Amino acid sequence: MRTRREIRARKALWDRIAYHGIGIGTAFFFLAPFAVSFLASFRPNSESGRPPLPPWPISGMSFDAYRALDSFGAGIWQHMFNSLLVSIGTVFLTVAVSVLAGYGFSRYRFPFKNALFVLIIATLMIPFQSILTPLFIILARLGLNNSLVGLMLVYVTLQLPFSVFMMRNAFDAVPKEIEEAARIDGARDLKLLVRVLLPLVMPGIATVSIFAFLNAWNEFFAALVLLSSNDNYTLPVLMTAVRAGRLGAINWGAVQAGVAVMVVPCLFVFLLLQRYYMRGLMAGAVK
Amino acid sequence: MANGISNKSVVLSDIRKSYGGLEVIHGIDLTIEEGDFVVFVGPSGCGKSTLLRMIAGLEEVTEGEIAIKGRDVTDLDPSERGIAMVFQSYALYPHMSVSENLGFGLKMARTDPAEIERRVAQVSAILKIDHLLDRRPGQLSGGQRQRVAIGRAIVRKPDVFLFDEPLSNLDAELRVSMRIEIARLHRELGNTMVYVTHDQTEAMTLADQIVVLRDGRIEQAGSPRGVYEDPANMFVAGFIGSPRMNFLDAEWQGDGTIRVGEATLEAAIDGGSLKHGERLLLGVRPEHIAVAEPGPERITAQVEFSEYLGGTRYLYCQLEDGQSLVVEQRDGPDWQAGERLSFAVPEDRRRFFAEDGRRLR
Repeated sequence: MRTRREIRARKALWDRIAYHGIGIGTAFFFLAPFAVSFLASFRPNSESGRPPLPPWPISGMSFDAYRALDSFGAGIWQHMFNSLLVSIGTVFLTVAVSVLAGYGFSRYRFPFKNALFVLIIATLMIPFQSILTPLFIILARLGLNNSLVGLMLVYVTLQLPFSVFMMRNAFDAVPKEIEEAARIDGARDLKLLVRVLLPLVMPGIATVSIFAFLNAWNEFFAALVLLSSNDNYTLPVLMTAVRAGRLGAINWGAVQAGVAVMVVPCLFVFLLLQRYYMRGLMAGAVK
Repeated sequence: MANGISNKSVVLSDIRKSYGGLEVIHGIDLTIEEGDFVVFVGPSGCGKSTLLRMIAGLEEVTEGEIAIKGRDVTDLDPSERGIAMVFQSYALYPHMSVSENLGFGLKMARTDPAEIERRVAQVSAILKIDHLLDRRPGQLSGGQRQRVAIGRAIVRKPDVFLFDEPLSNLDAELRVSMRIEIARLHRELGNTMVYVTHDQTEAMTLADQIVVLRDGRIEQAGSPRGVYEDPANMFVAGFIGSPRMNFLDAEWQGDGTIRVGEATLEAAIDGGSLKHGERLLLGVRPEHIAVAEPGPERITAQVEFSEYLGGTRYLYCQLEDGQSLVVEQRDGPDWQAGERLSFAVPEDRRRFFAEDGRRLR
């Protein structure tokens, strides 16, 4: 006859095994593609056409794929720089504009406030591919075609509706009294925004930053259409250009290497901001 | 005479506030003496918070003038008025430590860091929060947060403290101890304090002067005792005091007496303006009614039920014509529901009101 204590201990053990087992299993499915891709990028050229399993290189590690990636266009570092410039620029511009806009929509009373807000949100419904031609023409008129700055401005524009919405919610969640207390304490205008409110809407800013960074980093179509010279290619465009191997074959090795290179900054940004990001998405869900 | 002027801390002259076309504060005139503790009370929506926020500068004044220490501050920024405010929700900066919270106002005013540190230390000692200085507001209990909020007000050395229902987020026990704390602070600091509450106990215990507001107008301003014992009208009489004053329908007899149900009572009022048989109201506080032997001056009522509260007991009774009467008893026998009792009301405790709510004297 087992004591109740033993029964409880056994039950707790099984619970723990099930809990961690399911967790590890799920994590495996999420991590496997990364691992496969990353390992495959170290295959030598001769192996790159082999079936995907086993994913690791059989005849020793090689950096052939990375060399192939680097040999295209202006070199991987230049393209990496292009992508980073566009993405980080997009993040900063988006955050700067959406913080001010969100603050304005949240705190000030002005005519047609809600109509304007709905109008901004409504632009989310327009597929951006459909406005790519006019955008191209506008950029050409501004002398910004085939320029990374032009591409950055396009990304910022596409990113703004969601970001303004996000920042308005973030500012709405900050109690009015805190702002009033700060006004009594003598903080006004920009000082109030930077010293008191900005730290309180950090989760919103983190969310907006992550979205802006990932979207700009991964965006392919606009970059393909708006950038015409090889040297200006961002990484997604580089990837398609580099994919074409000899005689119409696909250079899988270079693609795998490109994927590995592209994933790293995304993971880095996400891991850096994810703590805030989670809180940002939850903001306003529960009082 | 010059001395008289400098003793006035806050002067409100014909303050009005409208939102769009809707006027919510209808011309408030009020003078607050230096060092006074003034409490605004009134039912919700009476404009007491709006009035306080106008003094603070958080709400624009539509018309009228606010002067603090003889200086017209009507259009000044909140930080330039010499005021400090404690909010109901504390409104601490959640991303700053307690000492940063306390020093923020001084930092904004570009005070010397050594001086900030000295004053923060001094204030935290007064409020006994010196062991919490490194914590964030999120790590504090409600009472501690309220102390920090009060500390943030004190550290700026304002001319006037403004409190917007500062205790209503605290539990009952803490509320009592913080109330005593605030009274102690007022005694020690000697500053003018303006305090908004809907809690009568807070109002009565803290105030030097109570201002009763209704619908954006001052109904009465005076000492707690004055407001309680000598209410200016039926609203004040009914609002101050718990359980509220009993109001009984009465009829003016023309000979200095009134008729309440079967009873005839002496009424020491100037009946010159009253017609024989005119209706009026007799107001009596529950604690002034005593059970007595039957007689012509006695109001008879039937006990409906009684509440036993330890030290006191409330008898909820009904007169023959259906009017209700609450009687407070300190001792004496228990009365059962359904018993008929006679009640005596001392002559100096009777208050009389006209049907429109005016006090008849």
